[in-house]
Amino acid sequence: MQPSRTRIAFYYSLLWLVALLFFLPVFWILMASFKTPDDILAVPPQFLFQPTLDNIVSMLTRPNTIPYFINSLFLSILSVTLALVVSFLAAYTLSRYKFRATNFLMFLILSTRMVPAAAFVVPIFQMYNAFQWRNQFGVLMLYTMFSIPFSLWILKGFIDGVSPRYDETGFVNGASRLHVMFRVVLPQVRPGLIAAFIFNLIFVWNEFLLNFILGGPGTQMIPYALAVGLTDSGGNVDWAFVASLSTGYVLLPTLMIFFFQKYLLVGMTFGTVRGEV
Amino acid sequence: MRSVHPAQPSADPMLLARRSPLRTFEESRFFSLTLLLPILIFFVALNVIPTLWMIGMSFYNYSLMSAAPPTFLGADNFVKIYNDSDLWSAFGRTFVFVVLAVGLETTLGVLLGFLFWGSSNMPGRRLALTLLFVPMVVTPVASGLFWRLIYEPTFGVANYLLQQISGQKIDFLTNIDWAFGAVLFVDIWMWTPFMILMTLAALGSVPKAELEAAEVDRLTAWQRLWHVIWPHGKFILMLGILLRTIDAYKTTDLVFLMTNGGPGNITELIALKLYRYAFASLNIGFSSALAVILLLIAIAFTSIYLWVLHLRRYREGV
Repeated sequence: MQPSRTRIAFYYSLLWLVALLFFLPVFWILMASFKTPDDILAVPPQFLFQPTLDNIVSMLTRPNTIPYFINSLFLSILSVTLALVVSFLAAYTLSRYKFRATNFLMFLILSTRMVPAAAFVVPIFQMYNAFQWRNQFGVLMLYTMFSIPFSLWILKGFIDGVSPRYDETGFVNGASRLHVMFRVVLPQVRPGLIAAFIFNLIFVWNEFLLNFILGGPGTQMIPYALAVGLTDSGGNVDWAFVASLSTGYVLLPTLMIFFFQKYLLVGMTFGTVRGEV
Repeated sequence: MRSVHPAQPSADPMLLARRSPLRTFEESRFFSLTLLLPILIFFVALNVIPTLWMIGMSFYNYSLMSAAPPTFLGADNFVKIYNDSDLWSAFGRTFVFVVLAVGLETTLGVLLGFLFWGSSNMPGRRLALTLLFVPMVVTPVASGLFWRLIYEPTFGVANYLLQQISGQKIDFLTNIDWAFGAVLFVDIWMWTPFMILMTLAALGSVPKAELEAAEVDRLTAWQRLWHVIWPHGKFILMLGILLRTIDAYKTTDLVFLMTNGGPGNITELIALKLYRYAFASLNIGFSSALAVILLLIAIAFTSIYLWVLHLRRYREGV
């Protein structure tokens, strides 16, 4: 029995309603970024208003805004790329050479991502002070480490799925191991690389506490800017700034999960669960 | 260590003659260690050494506030933690927060996940799912701020609606009765989509053939749920719940931005408490001891997580 068209229409509108409800708080802040400061503070709240680009323009012309965006992009892209290279080498090795400690190592590395950031930031903070690493290099290394567990888990999962026969065929035909790694195995794990890249990018893009504590000029990212630039000179929350910066900031994760939706599951479970939704 | 030996290249003398030093190195047993070297450097430098340092510090009386050199205390810091009723109540609060957040998110997520199960032909599904999943990829800093604007007592939209309904306003984030619930609600808003995602994945892991067989056999909805869906879906759902538990236990940024632990210490979760000890009172020894305890809890959670993962591999062969 086919359900009637009205029932299907009702069902789909219900789903859309649920999705929109979850999006509503984000939408509210997006709207706020197009309101004048008076409209944001208006009582009762303004649902219809004259849109303006003033907030966005003034946010972008603040001297620090563009550097924050550049820092965010620079640190997240570079650290994730570095983590992917390091993790690919390790994932291939752990997948193909059967070390006895493989499972234990994978467990230890995953557990580093399960610890509250506040717990390991104390020794890192001291170490960074001692070595004077509280600069771009230090934060970059930290974010690389931060991105490694997930990249390693996802890439190992994908490489385990590539039959060693491909490697053997390569060797029989005279290929070197590096050739097999990069020309035979790498192209077959492209989905894993994409998923690891996108989701680590989002995680680093979102990271706040480490950035807040360890950061200095040249490493401060947008969440830091949001938390610190929160109040204006009068001590009140500068909602026009917060709203417009959030709008700019939210764009990247949103676009990422729109275009790379099929990697969402593997991304949100650190590569331990695969499948599509 | 047992290495998988690549099949020897053919014994063609021409090929053997062209063996480069690189090729010899690639086939030596050190090559695999070389490939592991970068990750080990990162792991040792940024995880092992800081962790060992932290464990060491946890036995010392060491504060950045005083110029006195660290003195060895033995297990005193841990005894102090054990006797600190303030910390116990922070653990208690975190426990309540985790149980309520994960419980409600799982319930809602499973219900909505079932609702979204048949949506594969929905027009604009990708956009709808993007909107649905946005809350979980927005940094807690930003979502904390969004909700501060919404909860704001004078011009916030939540209070506007509340006033329309009940005629009074509540300052959610500074009210002792409401602050915890208000933060919890934001966490539920952020992470219910994740449980929806996991439910969809769990439902997706049920083999189509078994569902069709259930249909042919005219199983009731309950029978279908219990005998067909649950045996396959339970693992992924469990993994989702565990990941959420770990994440909820880590919650720092959200409360930091929304209430900073207040009013009083109603929303002061354990991770924020630790942050306070370390960076407000700069008591490195004591906070290291607390960090060691949080680390052990995290390792315990991770072990349970991997145990379920292995169980799934073993039973389902994936």
